[in-house]
Parts: sequence; structure tokens; C-alpha cells
Amino acid sequence: MSDKNTQKVTLTSNEGSQIEVDRVVAERSMLIKNLMEDLGDEAIVSPIPIPNVNDPVLRKVVEWCEHHRNDAAQSADDDNDNRKKTTDIDEWDQKFMQVDQEMLFEIILAANYLDIKALLDVGCKTVANMIKGKSPEEIRKTFNITNDFTPEEEEQIRRENEWAEDR
Amino acid sequence: MPPQAFMGMPPQPKDDIETTWNYLQQGITRIMLNLQEGIDLQTYMGIYTAVHNFCTSQKAVGFALATTVVGASQRGAHLLGEDLYKMLSDYLTEHLRGLIAESKAHTEEALLAFYIREWQRYTDAAKYIHHLFRYLNRHWVKREMDEGKKNVYDVYTLHLVRWRDVLFAQVSEKVMDAVLKLVEKQRNGETIEHNQIKQVVDSFVSLGLDEGDSSKTTLDVYRFNFERPFLEATKVFYQNESKQFVAENSVVEYMKKAEARLDEEEERVKIYLHPDIGIPLKKACNQVLIADHSNILRDEFQVLLDNDREEDMARMYNLLSRIPDGLDPLRTKFETHVRNAGLAAVAKVASDADKLEPKVYVDALLEIHTQYQGLVKRAFTDEPEFTRSLDNACREFVNRNEVCKSGSNKSPELLAKYSDVLLRKSGTGVEDAELENTLVQIMTVFKYIEDKDVFQKFYSRMLARRLVHSNSSSDDAETSMISKLKEACGFEYTNKLQRMFQDMQISKDLNTGFKEHVQSLGAKGLDSAYSILGTGFWPLQAPGTNFNPPEEISADCDRFARFYKNKHEGRKLTWLWQLCKGEVKATYIKNAKMPYTFQVSIYQMAILLLFNEKSKNTYDEIASTTQLNSEALDPSLGIFLKAKVLCLDPGSGKIGPGATFSLNYEFKNKKYRVNLNVGMKSEARQEEAETNKTIEEDRKLLLQSAIVRIMKARKRMKHQQLVSETINQIRARFVPKVSDIKKCIEILLDKEYLERLDDDEIGYLA
Repeated sequence: MSDKNTQKVTLTSNEGSQIEVDRVVAERSMLIKNLMEDLGDEAIVSPIPIPNVNDPVLRKVVEWCEHHRNDAAQSADDDNDNRKKTTDIDEWDQKFMQVDQEMLFEIILAANYLDIKALLDVGCKTVANMIKGKSPEEIRKTFNITNDFTPEEEEQIRRENEWAEDR
Repeated sequence: MPPQAFMGMPPQPKDDIETTWNYLQQGITRIMLNLQEGIDLQTYMGIYTAVHNFCTSQKAVGFALATTVVGASQRGAHLLGEDLYKMLSDYLTEHLRGLIAESKAHTEEALLAFYIREWQRYTDAAKYIHHLFRYLNRHWVKREMDEGKKNVYDVYTLHLVRWRDVLFAQVSEKVMDAVLKLVEKQRNGETIEHNQIKQVVDSFVSLGLDEGDSSKTTLDVYRFNFERPFLEATKVFYQNESKQFVAENSVVEYMKKAEARLDEEEERVKIYLHPDIGIPLKKACNQVLIADHSNILRDEFQVLLDNDREEDMARMYNLLSRIPDGLDPLRTKFETHVRNAGLAAVAKVASDADKLEPKVYVDALLEIHTQYQGLVKRAFTDEPEFTRSLDNACREFVNRNEVCKSGSNKSPELLAKYSDVLLRKSGTGVEDAELENTLVQIMTVFKYIEDKDVFQKFYSRMLARRLVHSNSSSDDAETSMISKLKEACGFEYTNKLQRMFQDMQISKDLNTGFKEHVQSLGAKGLDSAYSILGTGFWPLQAPGTNFNPPEEISADCDRFARFYKNKHEGRKLTWLWQLCKGEVKATYIKNAKMPYTFQVSIYQMAILLLFNEKSKNTYDEIASTTQLNSEALDPSLGIFLKAKVLCLDPGSGKIGPGATFSLNYEFKNKKYRVNLNVGMKSEARQEEAETNKTIEEDRKLLLQSAIVRIMKARKRMKHQQLVSETINQIRARFVPKVSDIKKCIEILLDKEYLERLDDDEIGYLA
């Protein structure tokens, strides 16, 4: 068996540009890992098309995978993982996520598509932290959301959720 | 070379289900039917992306990006995928129906091959499709399962469920028939492709899905569809085969056959069956091959025993040990057989019980024990229950046989005598190692002796004799034997024996001290040695006659007595004259080149010394000087006459008052040392009778002390309980009679050690 650390694979973004990465890096994605398992070594001599991800996002995702290449492999079902319970994000990941909102959402979508659970978690936590401690109005502002509630609806929701408010 | 992409890029989000499914169906069909040609990267990514895109397409427009992702971890968000899941499920059903139709063209082995081929193809495809539909698995399926929906499975499991419910339900019986035919062929000696069966087994096992938890599997499907018919067929096959075989062959041949068949089936499990069937298959085979024929097997056992067919007995043991309670009848037969063999062996040597050599008797017992112990070891793998049967049989024939008829104490008595023969100094000179071995064998018989107290009595008497006469062959052997007895019966049993040894040791030191003492006095003593034997430890009694020791001796004796009293004040010494002996030199004999030395008892010495004064003495003179009564005097004189040391004067008649004895100056003997101190037979027999008499008395005491011990501990007890507890305690020594125990309780009640309470209870009086 060839060494996964040195073996290379090429990914093609939806714009057609190619990125060469180590196999072990690409395998952070469960999609690619399964693909290589199914199709075998000889199939991946040609570039793997990633039709749903554009070039800048794919590069960003690869950057993250490079950094996390030695993390423990993603287990089949880690629902009970404590990682989920907290919104703490490690320092490097925090810096990594300091991007504009559109890029942030693109990364989340790509992580979901490529099945990179850890990256998806980091992305979602980043969004969660952006919401935390904000009033509805502030949240609308942050994410550029139009308020489509009628005042009556809004009053009703406020009443129903009174218990959750800080006093 | 990766094949050319045959599909374009997948539909984009928001496409409807028909478009998506049409696209997917092409790919899935290709995977289902032509996987061996390989799937290219475009197709693989295309299908995955199509599934992803369909599931993420949001009917609601607007904040599509944010709601899809964030919504995935919140309740209430709508997840797409149900349509896709259902389409896939329908597709699989359709595919499997096609396979059912195709399967009808095949039968037997061809059907097996078909089933295995299609199963392989189907499950390989399922693995791919599972990966390609991973997005569906991760979101829609997971949500459905988290919400506890039944009948929703991950995509791979869905494949298995469809296979089981559609195809398997229709064809599994036919497949199973083919499997069973194949196995029958193999059982009939043909070579088969057993890999096929293994694959069928694996397939059946894979279909065992736990309805409650899809991550677990059960063996239910396999057990019902494979194991059950397999066991049934196996039973029928071997029922028929064994019935026929038994009718045409001997039992021994049948055992060989059955053994071979059982091994074969075990091997079969290892080679191509699921390990789960191992135990039930063994059970089924054991039932039809062994249990159903156990009666004819057992009937043969006696024949095998009678003919010493060890190997065949081992075979029978091996077979019958596999079925519950299979061996019990064998054990019973074995026990009876051994007992009879033992009794017969004893009867053979017991023609004249009185003259029976201890060695011959013990050897006869041992021979049977050794023979059947060997059988238990080699044929019955030393199984504890068989060992117990052997022990039971041995205990029976050791304690109740032809020889014991003349006296129930015969066995322990003869055994003790045999050990005396072995431990006594003798000309035969047994090797140390061999002696030790023989002692071990003695212990083997000893273990079976019920009246261990009788053995103890005889043994201690004979040990005392060996010690007093210092004709024990070796201290090591004596110690070894005592420690063996101690190991078997405990400290109490050998306590007295050990004390006797100690006494001898102390006496040795004492003699050394006494010699130094005599030397320091400057007196000229006899060359004498004294033994101090503790009363109560030695089975000895004071002499039955008065005795007036001759002056030559009494001076030394008195000096020793003073010496001893000086050392141990307040101790009472009783002279056991009957055990004393000495040597005298006969300087009076004319034709002797050198003087004869007579080894004599002290009584004999006293008699001979009288002839220093005058060469003729009358019976009455001897009797009055020595003070010996006729029971001690007559035999001593008898020996002198027989050895022609003394002559009976003519006209004197026989030994008794009025007879006159004269010294024989013409004495002649081949040896210069003449042993005249020979025990008389009547003496030995008397001792035996005495020993036997004391046993009954001692037993009563033993019983009483046991009863008192028990009552002291329990304070109060039911009568019946007390009796059985006493039996328990005393059984190691001898087997007590209930009536004796009751008598002893009565005695203790009379002596007011115990009192009678209400309700049949006995109380202890301190």
C-alpha cells in the first residue's frame, strides 16, 4: 500500500482550477475518503471534480484540512462528543474563521457537502458566537435580515419566550 | 483505466424529484449491474452531488444558505429526502423481483451459485450506494431514526431489509434445500464445494437485523432459516444411518463409526458453518448417535470389562460422557465389577485364613486396586466420579471379604502385620526406595480401611515391640510411615506413636549419662541399657508374674533406679521384666573351642544363673528363688530343654513341680551365638486376642468422648442429630453402630454428663 502521507491527489473546483494536496489531507473529507475506498488507488490518478465548491472556498477548506491533517480520524458517529456542547473554538480556528460573512457561510456549506464534520462544527460555532448576547434587532442587523413579523406576531413571540429573557 | 463518464453533471438544486431520480437511476443501475466495469470519478461525484443537491434544495426561497445549515441542528426544520428514500426502496424491490424471476430457472447447485453470485453483487453495490447516499443518511435518515420512526434504515441496511423481505422470503427455502442436499452428498463421501455453503451462511447471518437497534445484528433469521432445517436434516440422516449400521455391525464397530461422525461434524462447523450452530449441532448428533443407542452401548460395557478391552472402554466413555447422565450406568457396573474382582482375588488367597501371609493378602488387594486405577486413568480420564466408584468398590472388598468373615478386624490387622514385616529388621534387606514405595502402597489400602482404630492398635503394639527389641530396620522408614499416617488421620492418631519414638531417644541420652555416672563412681557395672517408656503411650502392661532378679542384675538395676530418681523426683518406675533380655557366656561346655553366647530373656537369665551354684536344680528351687509363676517359668524352661541347654533328669516326667533339671555339659550348636529368647506362638496369639478385646473398650471411650465434645460445643441437641453428628466425627476411625452410640449416650446420662430435656432433646451438664 502506498504511503498516504506522501501520496498526492488533485481536486478540481467548479471553475476547473486544480489543487494538489496530500492524500491524508483530502481524506479529512469523508466524501473523498469513501470515494477512494470505493474506487481504489488507480481511479484517483485523475483529478477529482468537486462540482459544488468554487476555487477560493476550496482553497480555504484545504488550508483548514492541512492544518488539521493529524487530528484523530472522524468517527462514524460522534454525537456524544463533548466538542458539540461548548462554543469554545481553538485559537487557530478562530483566526481562520475571521473572514467575511459570505465566505463563512460558503465554508459551512462546503464542509457540509464534503462531509468534514469538525470544520462544519467550527463554522456553526462561529455563527453561534455571532448570535450570542444579541437582541433580535442586533441579530437582524448582523445578518442583514428583514423583519417580516407583524407587530402582533412579534408581541406574541415575546410573551411566549419571556422566561428566557435576562433580567 | 477509468471508464468514460457516461453521465453529465448532476441537476442543480431546486430541480424536482423526477429529474433528480432519473439522473440517479441511471447511475444506480450501472452500480447494480455493472460494477465490475468500474465507476468513474465523474459519475461517483455526480451521484453524490445530486443527492446532496436534492436534499439541500429549499422550497422556500430567501435565506436558503443560512436556514439550511443552521436549521440542520435545530428542531422543526424540514429535511428533504423522504421521496428519494422511497424511490430507492421501490427501485430495490423492483430489482429483486427481477432476480426472483431469474432464480426460477435454476435448481440445486446452480441455484446456490446463482444466489451467492447475486448476493455478492447486490451487497457490493449496496456498499457503494450507501456511500453515495451518505448525505441522505446523515440528515434525513438520521432525523427519522432519532425521532424513533420504525422502518427507516440507513441506506445499506435498507438494501438488506429489501433483500430479506422481497427475495429471501421467496427463495430461502429452495436455497436451503440445495444446501442440505449438498451436505448430504458430503456426508455420503462425495467432495463438495463447501465454500458455497459458507457464503450462504454468511448471507443468512447478515440478514439478521435487530429491529430495535439497527447498529446491532441478531442471529434470528439465520437460526430460523438455516440452523433449524440443518439440525432437522442432520437428525434424520444420522437416525437412518445409525439404525442401519447398528443392525449390520458390532457395537464396537458402531462406536468407531459414531466417533468418526461426531468428529466430522465438529470439523464441519469449523470449516464452513457458523460457530453458533456448534453446540446445538453437537447436541443433535449426540442425541441420535449416542443417546438413542445408549442401551446397547451400556449392555456391551460388561463384555468389554470382562475382556479388558481398555481402548474400547475409553471409546465408550468418550461417547457416553457427551450425553447427560450417560455415564451413571457405567459407573454402577464398574463398581460392581471391581468389587467382585476384589472379592474373587481375596477368595483365591483366603483358602486358609489363619495361616494367611499378610503380604499375600495385601498384595491381592493392591493388585486389583492397581489394575482398575490404571483403567480409570487410561480409559476414563481419571474422572472423579469413576474414581469414586473405584473407591467405593475397594472399600467394600477391603472391609468385607472372605478373610474378614473370620473376624471383621482381619483387614487392618493383616495390613498392620504386613507393615511390621516390612519395617522389621530382616535378612531380605529391601532397598530403601522400594520400601518407601511399598509403604505408599500400604497407605493406599489403609485409606480404604474402615476400622482405622484397629490398625492403630496393632501398629502401635508392633512398633513398641520393634522399638523395645531394637529390631526396626530403619528410623527413616519408621518416621516416614508415621508421617504418612499423620497425614491421613491427623495428629491425634499418631500422637502415641510419636511419643514412643521420643521415649527411645530420651532413653539413649539417659544411658549415656548413666554410664558416665557409673564410671565416676569407679564401680564396675554391667554392660546394661535401660529404656524409660512413658505409661499410657506404650501399649504395654506390667508383668503378669512376680520376679526376683538375680543379684548380678539387681545391683545395676537399683543403681539405675537411684540415678533416675535423682534426676526426676517423684516418678514411679515399674520394671517390665517380661521385655528384658540379655546375653550370658557359657564357659562350662567342654568341647567348645570358644564359649557359646546365649541370648536370653531376663527370666531365662535368672534360671541359668542358678546353675552357677550347682549343676542340678529342682523346679521348686527355681520357682522359689526366681519367684516366677508357672506361666512365665514353664515356657522358659521348655526352650532350654528343647535347645538341650538343660536336661530333664530321667524320671522327672514333664516340666512342673517335682522335676529336676541339670546342665548339659555336652551342648553343641553350629553357631556360637544362640538365640534362646524366642517368643512362643501361644504368646503371640494371646497378644492378638488381647488387642482385639481392648478395641471394643476403646471404641466405647472414643464414642463417649466424641459425644461429650459435641455436646460441650452445642449445649443442647436433638437425640437424632447427636447420633448422626457422632457418626460424622468418628467415621475417620471406624464405622460406629447406631446402637453403640445410643448405649454410650445412656451411659453419659447415667453419669450425669448429659441430661434429658423435653422434645427429645439432650442437654449438656457442665
